Amino acid sequence: MITLRGLTKRFGAVTAVDDLTVDIAPGRVTGFLGPNGAGKSTTMRMVLGLDRPTAGRALVAGRPYRELRHPLHEVGALLDARALHPARSGRAHLLAMARSNGIPRRRVDEALAVAGLDDRAARKPGRALSLGMAQRLGIAGALLGDPPVLMFDEPVNGLDPDGVRWIRELTAGLAAEGRTVLVSSHLMSEMQQTARHLVVIGRGRLIADAPVDELLAAGPAGSVRVRGPHPEALARLAGQLAGDGATVTADGPAGFTVTGAGAERVGDLAYELGVALHELSPVAATLEEAFMELTADAVEYAGGGPR
Amino acid sequence: MNAVDATRTRPALPGAVAAEWTKLWSVRSTWWTLLAGALVMAATSAQLAIYAANGNTNDDPADDAGVVTVGSVVIGSLELTQYAVLALGLLAVTSEYATGTLRGTLTATPSRGTVLLAKAVVAGAVTFGFGLLLGLVGVAAAAPVLGRWGRAPVAGTAGDLLAVAAYLALVGVLALGVGAVLRGAVLSVVVLLALLMIVPLSLQEPGITVLDRIADAFPGVAGGHFMAGDDHPYPPVVGLLLLAGWAVAALTAGRWALRRRDA
Repeated sequence: MITLRGLTKRFGAVTAVDDLTVDIAPGRVTGFLGPNGAGKSTTMRMVLGLDRPTAGRALVAGRPYRELRHPLHEVGALLDARALHPARSGRAHLLAMARSNGIPRRRVDEALAVAGLDDRAARKPGRALSLGMAQRLGIAGALLGDPPVLMFDEPVNGLDPDGVRWIRELTAGLAAEGRTVLVSSHLMSEMQQTARHLVVIGRGRLIADAPVDELLAAGPAGSVRVRGPHPEALARLAGQLAGDGATVTADGPAGFTVTGAGAERVGDLAYELGVALHELSPVAATLEEAFMELTADAVEYAGGGPR
Repeated sequence: MNAVDATRTRPALPGAVAAEWTKLWSVRSTWWTLLAGALVMAATSAQLAIYAANGNTNDDPADDAGVVTVGSVVIGSLELTQYAVLALGLLAVTSEYATGTLRGTLTATPSRGTVLLAKAVVAGAVTFGFGLLLGLVGVAAAAPVLGRWGRAPVAGTAGDLLAVAAYLALVGVLALGVGAVLRGAVLSVVVLLALLMIVPLSLQEPGITVLDRIADAFPGVAGGHFMAGDDHPYPPVVGLLLLAGWAVAALTAGRWALRRRDA
């Protein structure tokens, strides 16, 4: 469990994190979502006791991080995978971490194996590691102490598709074991597949704290793609739909996309009007669209779909 | 939960020391620093021994140093050699700032005081041991050059080597503290040069008593008085305490800086 209470961080005149109050619960992957610069990394650094909050508190298992003596047993974190000594091997890097917290040496090999780094990769100095390998090393470090709480900041950066899938399975497995797993990302599509719960922030403020399904349901409605052989007939259908309050966007002469009316309504109406259709396909809203809507803040845009 | 509780209450310092030890010996720059220290020590000891021997054999009686102890030559060569040794203490913290690994170190050991103390223990112990080795290197280089103009009583030389090791250990810790405050290696070296050499030399230059006494309080001068074993202007132990005071003050300032700053 990670507990944030009124967490605030100001750098001079800039408020990076603004009065954040959230509980990150165990047993599920929580996505920490926001555009770059939203305050995700600063929040994670405060949880780890690296940055001092200007106000509020960040607690892990009910305690401030700086009070933990051997924190690697309680929290595993991947922050900046590139923060490696250029000349120190990955294995020595992990070994130093393990020793600091009284973690046996064999855990280093186990963590390396879980992270998919073989002996050759583990012997490479920091400067010779690709970003993807550095990410895997960082994840191995987070797993060293077998902690109940894990935080990964942008873990899929630099990973190939195999690596991305691996992260997805790894985080899901860790959450299934009952751990608290917080994964930050600015990639909405990735979060849609990885996280079950989302904490969305923008400009340091909490925008949403809800299950992914709920956010999708509350987001913009899905749209329906319509195609047919007779442009005039399609135009009649489109006109009728627009008259009913739906939003119609033309896709060339032979089709259009409609939001604000479901596929059933469009199909029924086409039948009533005697319009032949070659395609009638619902397009589900993506988390990305939900996210755009959430972070659009007070910006209103004309022609937006109904909520 | 017993295992977890036991883990929570176990002191953090031994683990932090082990981690610092691992980090120190897992980078090649440590070995290069040691090699550089040994070479500089051998070269400067031999050079000072040549000066001492020449002074006794040329025509100018004002140059005559008479028979000198080999230990005093080794001590004299520290003025240069110490910079290779204090790099060990300095790099222990400035390299962590430069590479960003300090965040990982503080994530593993959140107590800033424990991290700095662990680094001080490792830097102090390694520079002390290395100081003894360097002393032997200096003796080996200086003794044959001095020949009949040098003497090396066993007890006296052993005492000199211990003093050299203690001096280097304390200067290494001083460098560590300065590095923790200033973060950058270059700025830290400049400040250390000023503290150990430039400022006290400038103070001593005019030969004004008050300025000389102020210079005597600087770490390099105090360490010099301690190693020389002379009773003027204060007993050797006072020189040792002054130098230790500088090292402790630098560490305290470093801990304050680490606690206060965002990492």
